[in-house]
Amino acid sequence: MAASVKFRVYRYRPEDGGKGFYREYEVPVKKGMTILDGLLYIKESLDPTLSIRYSCRMAICGSCGMRVNGIETLACHTQISELRRRVITVEPMKNFPVIKDLVTDMAVLFKKQRALLTWLIRRDLVEQENPTHQYIQSDEELERYLQFTYCIQCGLCYSACPVVSTFPDFYGPQPLMKMYRYFADSRDEGGKERIDLVDKFEGVWRCHFAGSCSMVCPKGVDPALAIQLLRRASLRG
Amino acid sequence: MRERNLMLLHYITGLGILLFGAIHVWTLFFTYPLQETIWETTLRFDSLPYAVLPVYRNILFAASLFGLLLCTTIHAMNGIRAVIAELIGARIRWVEAVLVAVGVFLVVYGTRTILIANNLLV
Repeated sequence: MAASVKFRVYRYRPEDGGKGFYREYEVPVKKGMTILDGLLYIKESLDPTLSIRYSCRMAICGSCGMRVNGIETLACHTQISELRRRVITVEPMKNFPVIKDLVTDMAVLFKKQRALLTWLIRRDLVEQENPTHQYIQSDEELERYLQFTYCIQCGLCYSACPVVSTFPDFYGPQPLMKMYRYFADSRDEGGKERIDLVDKFEGVWRCHFAGSCSMVCPKGVDPALAIQLLRRASLRG
Repeated sequence: MRERNLMLLHYITGLGILLFGAIHVWTLFFTYPLQETIWETTLRFDSLPYAVLPVYRNILFAASLFGLLLCTTIHAMNGIRAVIAELIGARIRWVEAVLVAVGVFLVVYGTRTILIANNLLV
């Protein structure tokens, strides 16, 4: 592996008229170094004005989502050596407004999540406040939604979705997948209400099943599957 | 109509196109004697209409043609609706009304043609 690689980083400052540009940095590489390590090296040693968002550095918080060589990934989860490139292009996620450099505004994602009621819906509020028994689930019931609970809301699937790119009103893979997670939960009572929400023009039927959402997910979640399962549920009424 | 009903219709008509399209191609394939190309058959009948018309006068074939016409029209109009709406980013009622009108016209005109070819409408 080369002793150093060139980072080609997208820079965007709203105060400069809102036009983005690329700046190149030479970064020395050590074994096991991640894209996030490279960006932090740039910020600490070469250019302190570079803005990035990160937190856990271990692919749990979902803060450092970005596009590396055109593919959505977590910067902390991608080693420089695995890219096998001399030049590494780092850009912010698509389908989100850019706040500064590599930092995007993910409010739209959370707004769509709220619109799709991504929480457990129960009718027996008194019982929920003062439960009289346990709400035990079988292994089979848990299996129906377990993989979808692994989502860390990094927004990579939303960025990779080609439908959101051309039709921003589409709910997108992450909010729909999150909705399915609760829809499939045996404790949830929002069935018809949820189906009516996704059976809209901007709902599940706009998915073209490109599958890029599932391909880029760093946690192995399959949002495309969740959308197909929601479609099936929708057809069954 | 609800989105799920429209899309269900879209899937069913897609399968219908596959079925009736296969019947169409299969029937015409066996219209011509074996060892003979379509071109040779056409020459034998002097002109193409004489070779094809007997097939179109079969009532079952006419029914399958109507099925193909109906499925193709519904599938195409709904597909165009989805493409336009996704490009614009919203459903536009008057565009949908125009597509319904075009679809009805195509089905009526196509049905008339099938009936004439079948000698049911002179």
